[in-house]
Amino acid sequence: MRDTAESTPLMARLRNVGAYYWLRKGYLRHERYWALRDVSFDLYPGDSLGVIGRNGAGKSTLLKLLSGIVKPDLGSAELFGHHATLLSLQVGFVPYLSGRENAILSGMLMGMHRDEMERRMGEIIAFSELDEFIDQPISSYSAGMRARLGFSVAIQLDPDILLIDEVLGVGDAQFQAKSSARIHDIIRSRKTVVLVSHNADTLRKLCNRAIWLEGGVTRAVGDTDSVLREYNDYMLQTAG
Amino acid sequence: MLTQHHLELIVYKTYADLKAETAKTYIGFIWWLLDPLLFMLTFYVVFELLLRQGTPDFIPFLLVGLITWRWFQNTVAHGAGAILQNRELMRQIYLPKIVFPLVTVLTDLVKFSLVFLILLLFLSVTGHPPGASYLALPLVLATEFLLIVALTCLTSAVVPFLPDLRILIEHGLHMLFFVSGIFFSSSQVPQPLHWLLYLNPMAGLIEAYRDILIRDQWPQLGLLSGIAGAAALACWGAYRLLTRYDHVYAKVVR
Repeated sequence: MRDTAESTPLMARLRNVGAYYWLRKGYLRHERYWALRDVSFDLYPGDSLGVIGRNGAGKSTLLKLLSGIVKPDLGSAELFGHHATLLSLQVGFVPYLSGRENAILSGMLMGMHRDEMERRMGEIIAFSELDEFIDQPISSYSAGMRARLGFSVAIQLDPDILLIDEVLGVGDAQFQAKSSARIHDIIRSRKTVVLVSHNADTLRKLCNRAIWLEGGVTRAVGDTDSVLREYNDYMLQTAG
Repeated sequence: MLTQHHLELIVYKTYADLKAETAKTYIGFIWWLLDPLLFMLTFYVVFELLLRQGTPDFIPFLLVGLITWRWFQNTVAHGAGAILQNRELMRQIYLPKIVFPLVTVLTDLVKFSLVFLILLLFLSVTGHPPGASYLALPLVLATEFLLIVALTCLTSAVVPFLPDLRILIEHGLHMLFFVSGIFFSSSQVPQPLHWLLYLNPMAGLIEAYRDILIRDQWPQLGLLSGIAGAAALACWGAYRLLTRYDHVYAKVVR
């Protein structure tokens, strides 16, 4: 089934989704590890959906599932023909190529067209503050310059659903403030976003809805405040 | 499965990989020519100078075999790691996995083309100018290309599940190298054993190249179409495998 965006108000619908990885257990033996067991929620246009949960709760796997990297082994995940892309920094960067070439390659890997990347190069150069360094091989860049380029490329993405995994600021203090402000702008815009974070404050500030994952199961779905309250109560209980 | 965008991506990634490879060394793409030449030198020293087993025209004979063989060997060997080496990428974005072996095929095709052109030039100035049989050359090249695509995609599809296979593939290629008639001609093999020799598609292809480039003869079209048919079948099988397990690779490759 492939609905168009017009015929349904939903961006994504997940019902009882489970997904496993293969873990190697010695010689020719593999074991299933269920990263997601029972995940259900709806995603509406313009939603900023926060995902909270402890390490190993299945947050990253959920993003992989939404971006189509893995498929559900149980249940159903329907995106109604929408494209979801994970905002990743420095995807596919090749050390000996120039910043410009890496920007094009990285953008193309994330689904952008080549001429579109070339059109946006001015903006990428300006935001990354690389100026004439854009035509130098990135093997000559500092870690900070590479991070700035990676970020400036990533924010050019314009998928139907943007997936963000804790990348809220990179580089030195000045660029961190600038990049973090840009990400916040994107999340607060009308764009549909799924944001994974450990930080309850970040989610409270940026998300209108949230889900809480625990052991690959959705323990709570709803408005951000009530989900975070449930999560905090649970964390206090398990700590005490 | 592959969209226009993916094809453009394959081309740009190929360009990027080739450029990165030349930027890594001081003399850059000259290595693409020097590498097969140095490789050939070993065989020249052993067979022509030490063992004195060289037939007349030994150098052109050897060059044609080695260069067309190395196109096959390099691409298939690189194909074994094509999906495996992109595990980082597979964790971040979704791409049809067939993109990876196709980039490998294209990258090695460009390098081979350069060497092959120089080979044709060398042959024409050393007494083997192009003849009428050159008309069949695209056919032989296309057949080898099809065979390479098939085996590169197949190995790239299977190795992520069975990483140990990669070592076996290396040995298999090494063994094939000695039985592909690179430093001997099929006429030196007893007639009753020819069927065994031609079970190996590269042996037939190398003979076909020599027919055209050195002997100015029409190659055996029956044998060629047999190889092309088998390669097309293998291509289809590899495509099926890569589509079937497209979303599984990100789960097994860690």
